[in-house]
Amino acid sequence: MNTVFLTELAPPDANVYAIVPEMIVAATGIIVMLYDCFFPKQRNVTGAMSLIGLISSGVMLATMWGGDVPASSWGGMVAHDNLRLSFSFVFLFVSAMTVLISTIWVERENVPVGEYHALLLFATFGMMMMSAGSDLVVIFLGLETLSIATYVMAGLRKGDLRSNESAMKYFILGSFASAFLLYGMALVYGATGSTNIAGIAAKMADPNFPALLLVGAAMMIIGFGFKIAMAPFHVWTPDVYEGAPTPITGFMAAGPKAAAFASFLRVFVVGLPLIAGVQVSGYVHNGWITAITILAILTMVVGNVAAIMQNNVKRMLAYSSIAHAGYALVGFVGAGLATTNEARDAAIASVAFYMLTYAVTNLGAFTVVTILAERNDRRTEFEDYNGIGFRSPLLSFSLSLFMLSLLGLPLTAGFIGKVLVFRPALEAGNTLVTVMVVAAVVNTAISAYYYLRMIVVMFFKERASDWSAPKLSTAMAVALIISIVGVLYLGIFGDRLIQRFSTSLPIAQANR
Amino acid sequence: MDFISDNLLTILILAPIIGAMLTLAHQMFWKQEGQLKWLTLGFTLVNFAVSLLLFTGSAPAGGYMFEKNVPWITAINTNYHVGVDGLSFWLVILTTFIMPIAVISTWHAVEKKATAFYVFLLLLESAMIGVFVSLDLLVFYLFFEASLIPMFFLIGVWGGENRIYAAVKFFIFTALGSLLMLVGIISIYYIYADQTGFGGSFDLVSITNALKQGQMSFAGEWAGAGTLLFLAFALAFSIKVPLFPFHTWLPDAHTEAPTAGSVILAAVLLKMGTYGIMRFNFAMFPDQSREWAWLFIALAIIGIIYGALVAMVQPDVKRLVAYSSVAHMGFVVLGMFSFTETGMQGAVYQMLNHGVSTGALFLLVGFIYERRHTRAISDFGGLANVMPLYATIFVITAMSSVGLPLLNGFVGEFLIMVGMFKSTVLPITATFNWNYNATMLAGTGVIFAAVYLLWMMQRVFFGKVTNEKNKHLTDLTWREIGLIVPLVVLMVYMGVYPKPFLARTQENVQTIEKTVMKSAGGDVVRSTSDCKCEDEKKKEQH
Repeated sequence: MNTVFLTELAPPDANVYAIVPEMIVAATGIIVMLYDCFFPKQRNVTGAMSLIGLISSGVMLATMWGGDVPASSWGGMVAHDNLRLSFSFVFLFVSAMTVLISTIWVERENVPVGEYHALLLFATFGMMMMSAGSDLVVIFLGLETLSIATYVMAGLRKGDLRSNESAMKYFILGSFASAFLLYGMALVYGATGSTNIAGIAAKMADPNFPALLLVGAAMMIIGFGFKIAMAPFHVWTPDVYEGAPTPITGFMAAGPKAAAFASFLRVFVVGLPLIAGVQVSGYVHNGWITAITILAILTMVVGNVAAIMQNNVKRMLAYSSIAHAGYALVGFVGAGLATTNEARDAAIASVAFYMLTYAVTNLGAFTVVTILAERNDRRTEFEDYNGIGFRSPLLSFSLSLFMLSLLGLPLTAGFIGKVLVFRPALEAGNTLVTVMVVAAVVNTAISAYYYLRMIVVMFFKERASDWSAPKLSTAMAVALIISIVGVLYLGIFGDRLIQRFSTSLPIAQANR
Repeated sequence: MDFISDNLLTILILAPIIGAMLTLAHQMFWKQEGQLKWLTLGFTLVNFAVSLLLFTGSAPAGGYMFEKNVPWITAINTNYHVGVDGLSFWLVILTTFIMPIAVISTWHAVEKKATAFYVFLLLLESAMIGVFVSLDLLVFYLFFEASLIPMFFLIGVWGGENRIYAAVKFFIFTALGSLLMLVGIISIYYIYADQTGFGGSFDLVSITNALKQGQMSFAGEWAGAGTLLFLAFALAFSIKVPLFPFHTWLPDAHTEAPTAGSVILAAVLLKMGTYGIMRFNFAMFPDQSREWAWLFIALAIIGIIYGALVAMVQPDVKRLVAYSSVAHMGFVVLGMFSFTETGMQGAVYQMLNHGVSTGALFLLVGFIYERRHTRAISDFGGLANVMPLYATIFVITAMSSVGLPLLNGFVGEFLIMVGMFKSTVLPITATFNWNYNATMLAGTGVIFAAVYLLWMMQRVFFGKVTNEKNKHLTDLTWREIGLIVPLVVLMVYMGVYPKPFLARTQENVQTIEKTVMKSAGGDVVRSTSDCKCEDEKKKEQH
């Protein structure tokens, strides 16, 4: 590869237009950081700046969706397809919502808001690079940009011991996982001679390849598995989610997880496909499909069963996020098993849509949890929700709606998301995969218990102590309305978005 | 008018939702909970009136009335496809008819959080109508699940002592069954795509057409898949019916639910299960339905006898009525799986009967509970002396439930038993006809029903007033009379002149019999010559 580069010395394939959305976010991050240096007293300005940056990046993304951008630029390092665009859309949405939700700090607590916004934007930039990168190096850089920003964000509440513990745990285990991922990438490079996804996929057609590829793929599963909280690499999740400030927990459950899914999909589904007639590609493909199917079942069971036993709402939501990673993996396996490019794109789009529905719902839930938590996240136990149902109908009914959407009840976003991810897996007609879908469904029924528990404590129990409904600030109200409308809109009229995610820009991949 | 008749079913589904929103808005701006019941009552009455327009429709042969088919999510080819035929016709009207009664029954009973109560009632109505009219599997599933939430709240917030346990149990039982059905629904989508080559579909009409024309079948290599799918659907519906041994949620839910909730649960929600089996299992898996009929007949008979025996020993009137529901729904399942026109007609009729008479029984139990705040049989005795009108109506209703001739229950149970007797779905050997014996066993259920209801009435109404507190109870008020009389009138009418009801359902039932028993194809052994001889011998003896 290097020799080709040196001899031809062609002008670099620097298509700036292709990465404008990412650049907008990164630039906003820098501006916010500088502004915060010079005007540290501000409380709201950086938030507004971040929102403007995120929204304009979103607008840019939308224009590029139909626009004239090459499917691959920067020497094959940046892809421009549905996978990138749909996931980037999810990230921008998550970050914008997080900015809105964390305005609560402006009123309640003394958290360094400017730094926080800058970190959030850098994290968003990292996530966008992860979905856009079609090269292991870009994906890793994106992942690290994201991770380092999130480590700091988890420990943002410096005075709080839980927050410190959360950041520390996340940092140590996260670095460990990154090391696995990097090592896996190195091995894959060693095996295929390429860090480019298309290059790796091309190598799959070659009947002679070293077994190193299998080891590399396994290590990458561990690395990505950590980021998406796949069992048995999920152990960090509950502690980190419980300790981190609530809005950041919401962000971590929705954003970085989706980003890891984007790269995970790109590397495995696009990069390690099954090539007809090539036996060895069958080994690799079959290997990772089987591994992920089994891990998906494990993830769902562990997440749901553990969630039942939690008494803290944030911990419950943490385990529920593990379970949801399991459901999304069902769609992931479906994408891996798809026999045509269209089916694969549709399955990938269904995972993206699932992450969007999960993000909308989960951020909505975290909005309510944040509002109810009071200063320093004191009130996050189930007991603290006893009997608040009819005293604060807006908050408790919207939280119920989010719980039902997480449960996957019809007319909510969660239902359409679940149907979409289960569908491609059932299409494969493979026994193990069908077992996985049935496991997913049984798990959904199990999850009914703890999601309903939330409703039960809010509406069916009586409250012993006095409680008055907290006031709702404008930003929080906006976040809440966006989530409610989003849950219902995606659940009832999600069709157009699904179409957009699945058919407009096919994922570039020649070797099938 | 055109607009209304074009979108009649959509209006029926949406009107309660609009009502619920207006109720919320009204509460938000005027804060007068007293007016809400009028608003809710108005909406349910309007919906009932609109549903009567269903009578103006005429169905094309084998088709659906007021059909509407609009794309919903094109990515998975699911359409908002609704329509009414003979099977669903009376159930829709039963729903809209029961709702105003349920609303009036809560006139004074609901004191806390009335807004939410009425909102949930209206949402429930919308979901129930949706279940009966949807012809797209996914849309059906959607309404089927959506009906859970309002009921969950109705039991959980306004229920009795043990309401949380009952509500969660109700939800999880039903949800587990229906989620497995969801896997079945998605699988059918792909099996349809695989076999027909048209791409996937959730549309019941397309699927049944493909089955009829042989483009799709659950035989041969697909037989295994067909059996699994049949069982997945049947499980979801059996839990809802509820069929023994999935019935355990029902007594809890019924006992803990507020009166309106019990009435709706008994009158409409349980029918979703039996309706689902007739609509989906029989239409999509005729062979499997026939092959597995023995299982469902056996469970139904166990349910009939077990439900009746357990009802006999209940100390609580409401729990007794709840167990009687298990027995009655067993009859419905028995009739359905007889696969004779008579039996299935009886089953559909019995669904309506059960809705009317058990609904009425729950109302009556509610009346006495409002007065005494107890439902224990031992707290009563001699009520007929204090509340003669109440006792009279209670006796009529109970008799209708027992199956006294000239009241509705008789017609349904008689048809079911005749149908089962004539059935050939169970094995017939030269010496032993399982169908006869199944009928005989089910027949004992009628006797048990008489035992537990009469014994209960004896202890509650007759003899001397033993409890001081019962001496000064007031008889039924005008509101209560107005509430119960329409139901009593229906019981008598349906018992005397069932023809208009049965005429509506006849064609659909015949179609089911034809597809399931394949009388045209002739690959099912109808009664053998030996049996015919026996039949004739019997006739001669008589």
